[in-house]
Amino acid sequence: MYLNIKATKNNTFDAIVVGSGMTGGFAAKELTEKGLTVLMIERGREIKHPEDYDTAMKQPWEIEHRGKITAHSAEEHWANKRFGNLVNEEAGSFFTDDKANPYIEKRPFDWIRAYHTGGKSMHWGRQSYRFNKQDFEANAKEGIGIDWPIRYEDLAPWYTYVEKFVGVSGQKEGLDVLPDGDFLPAMPLFAPELHFKQKMLEKFNRPVTVGRVANLSQPQAWHTKLGRASCQYRNKCVRGCPYGAYYSSLSGAIPAANLTKRLTMLHDSIVAEIIYDEQRQKATGVRVINQQTKQVEEYFAKIIFLNAGAMNTAALLLNSKSNRFQQGLGNDSDQVGRNIMDHHLGVGATASIEGFLDDYVYGQRPNALYIPRFRNWGNDKQAYLRGFGYQGGASREGWNRGVNADGFGGDFKQNLTKPGQWTIGFGGFGEVLPNPANRMYLDPNRTDQWGIPMIVFDAAFGENEIAMRKDMMNAAMEMMDAAGFKNITGYNRPEVHLGLGIHEMGTARMGRDPKTSVLNAFNQVHDCKNVFVTDGAAMTSSSCVNPSITYMALTARAADYAVKALKKREL
Amino acid sequence: MNRRDVIKNVALMLGGAFSAPTLMAMNHWENATQAHVNGTAFSLSSSQRTIVAEIAELILPKTDTPGAKDVGVPAFIEMMMKDCYAQAEQQSFMEGLVLIEQTKFLDLNESERKGVLKYLEQETKAEMVARQMKQTKMGDNDDHEDIKKAPKGLPFWRLIKELTLLGYFTSEEGIKASFEYVQIPGKLENIKLQPNQKAYAY
Ligand SMILES: Cc1cc2nc3c(=O)[nH]c(=O)nc-3n(C[C@H](O)[C@H](O)[C@H](O)COP(=O)(O)OP(=O)(O)OC[C@H]3O[C@@H](n4cnc5c(N)ncnc54)[C@H](O)[C@@H]3O)c2cc1C
Ligand code: SF4
Repeated sequence: MYLNIKATKNNTFDAIVVGSGMTGGFAAKELTEKGLTVLMIERGREIKHPEDYDTAMKQPWEIEHRGKITAHSAEEHWANKRFGNLVNEEAGSFFTDDKANPYIEKRPFDWIRAYHTGGKSMHWGRQSYRFNKQDFEANAKEGIGIDWPIRYEDLAPWYTYVEKFVGVSGQKEGLDVLPDGDFLPAMPLFAPELHFKQKMLEKFNRPVTVGRVANLSQPQAWHTKLGRASCQYRNKCVRGCPYGAYYSSLSGAIPAANLTKRLTMLHDSIVAEIIYDEQRQKATGVRVINQQTKQVEEYFAKIIFLNAGAMNTAALLLNSKSNRFQQGLGNDSDQVGRNIMDHHLGVGATASIEGFLDDYVYGQRPNALYIPRFRNWGNDKQAYLRGFGYQGGASREGWNRGVNADGFGGDFKQNLTKPGQWTIGFGGFGEVLPNPANRMYLDPNRTDQWGIPMIVFDAAFGENEIAMRKDMMNAAMEMMDAAGFKNITGYNRPEVHLGLGIHEMGTARMGRDPKTSVLNAFNQVHDCKNVFVTDGAAMTSSSCVNPSITYMALTARAADYAVKALKKREL
Repeated sequence: MNRRDVIKNVALMLGGAFSAPTLMAMNHWENATQAHVNGTAFSLSSSQRTIVAEIAELILPKTDTPGAKDVGVPAFIEMMMKDCYAQAEQQSFMEGLVLIEQTKFLDLNESERKGVLKYLEQETKAEMVARQMKQTKMGDNDDHEDIKKAPKGLPFWRLIKELTLLGYFTSEEGIKASFEYVQIPGKLENIKLQPNQKAYAY
């Protein structure tokens, strides 16, 4: 008996955070900085910043397969490889082994995962844009899904707070469609991009800006304090940055939480279930399975933050069954696992640019140009709802232009040592509407190697997305044409499914009514208020902008609320 | 155009480098290569290995800077084909290579060899255009089936050219001889290109 009590005591913290990725890291930082002891539980292996970035300083010739994916890695990463070249030797070890962690596709779902310290913050593209006012209002206005329980103004100060900490390089533009944030100096646009920007303003009155990106163009004192330095413009961020110049949970939030000495981290520990106390009507802790030893352990806390990524968070809720919650914790509304959203991509255009032959660039920009949403905005009206933004940019061709060009031999070789002509390409990120039929659930029979029910995906793009995609390609071609570019080629990759936008969200949405939503305006599970969900699962609509900065802002806001409520003994 | 036609055309172009028996053997050729590639792991005979090396060197020959052979491109190509390509590509690579073997490539003089490659290049161009059209058509998820049942590998010339360039321009000697290699730029700037300036490599 005595031993048990002691074990329980050792395993008890003020707060538990499930997942160490983009949002888990931020939750841990906020909660520890506000005085709580925090246990952060991560299912994957430990990666230490920066010493475990094994490939970061490798020269091109030291990478055996030179950026291509080996058949072995492709087999191991049968889902992750759909994203592109990321599971090569430069970054492959930072993506989940799909063979060991399988899921079921009733309809295809491109699930890109990263199970390790930092989750997907390890290799995100760092594009960071605020949602705009309409993003929070459109559902209600158009009768789509349910209304957000918050508005832009609720989140605005938290955006600022997060942007400051993270460090976002960007250009203020004063646009309603893309609200400005707290920015570090912007990275430059290149000569043909400036020409393009000018033409788009003249011909369509469409603004073009440089990407807003979480790379330190000018580190501030609070960045340097965490050991983060200025970006060196190598654009090898996917390998992990030895300078901590781009934001990740590893370079930013976890070091900050560690400074408080109130953070404890567990690795290789899969949270399988949330423990619910029927009498106190609260969650009391979590049940954890060690991924190596399969040993089960319980941990306890006053509040629990779920930050396992939208799909795993929903799976965890669904797997947490009790007398009170027979369909899974917080699932009275039957909305857990539904309304999967993402951004649809893989559609856009490329072109070649004549001229600008004496313009060149020194350094590699870990960033792109950004064309904010212009569809269904202002006076524009389309047959489909919502819109998309484009990301891309111009660059001078390198040696690889030789692959598809005619010729071989000495002159051919010599020619490839010079920069080629400028080309441009950009692709859309389109908003996906919430649809309860787009869902994931737990398979009633099949379990993974740890005995946890496997996730089944049953979701696909709807008519709105498909109609938008056609326009995304055509509008890109039209803009390139208007800029005077040549050899314009549109693309609309047919093998893209939900998930490939790597922005999965929506599976435990926020709302005003417990009957139609899972979380309230402060990300609390409606009928289990000491459980907070602040990853992408919480999203009520998707906007078309990259979402992580919004997830982090929601996380910081919820953490602030949670600590205040704890102090008032409301939780 | 089928493969026999290709060989016939190459033969015509080269003034009849093929014997009648060789042309007749073509009848069984396609099945034979299929059998060869399926089942067994990708591997090259020593004459095929020599052909690969000779083609790589023709693509990027030694000049005042090293050539493909100097920097180990031939072995790189074989390793990449083995490690990184699915069966469809291994098959199309072998098909193309066998085709070249049939032209008695190693017995040809340099200008004849170049002729074969030029012919191959034109053939490949047409095939690549057709593939490109497939990729860019207005996909609205209807043509999934279409995509799935097109497992034909990239053509041999496209594969060997890409791998030759990749192997060469990412090798230490290749990079340093060809470009201004900058491991850590430290800044990002719009600049003016100087006359004869080499490209940067990072
Ligand atoms: C290639 C790529 C590019 C991207 N680019 C951008 C971009 O430019 N801008 C942008 O905004 N977003 C981008 N994203 C998306 C971004 O990475 C995600 O939105 C973000 O990481 C989500 O944060 P999260 O905390 O919800 O999940 P994650 O960061 O994935 O973290 C979840 C963590 O929880 C752990 N976990 C899961 N289940 C359990 C469990 N049961 N128990 C314990 N731990 C668990 C996981 O191992 C993981 O470490 C990109 C993603 C990828 C892959
Ligand atoms: S581009 Fe900047 S952030 Fe990315 S790896 Fe290089 S130094 Fe780090």
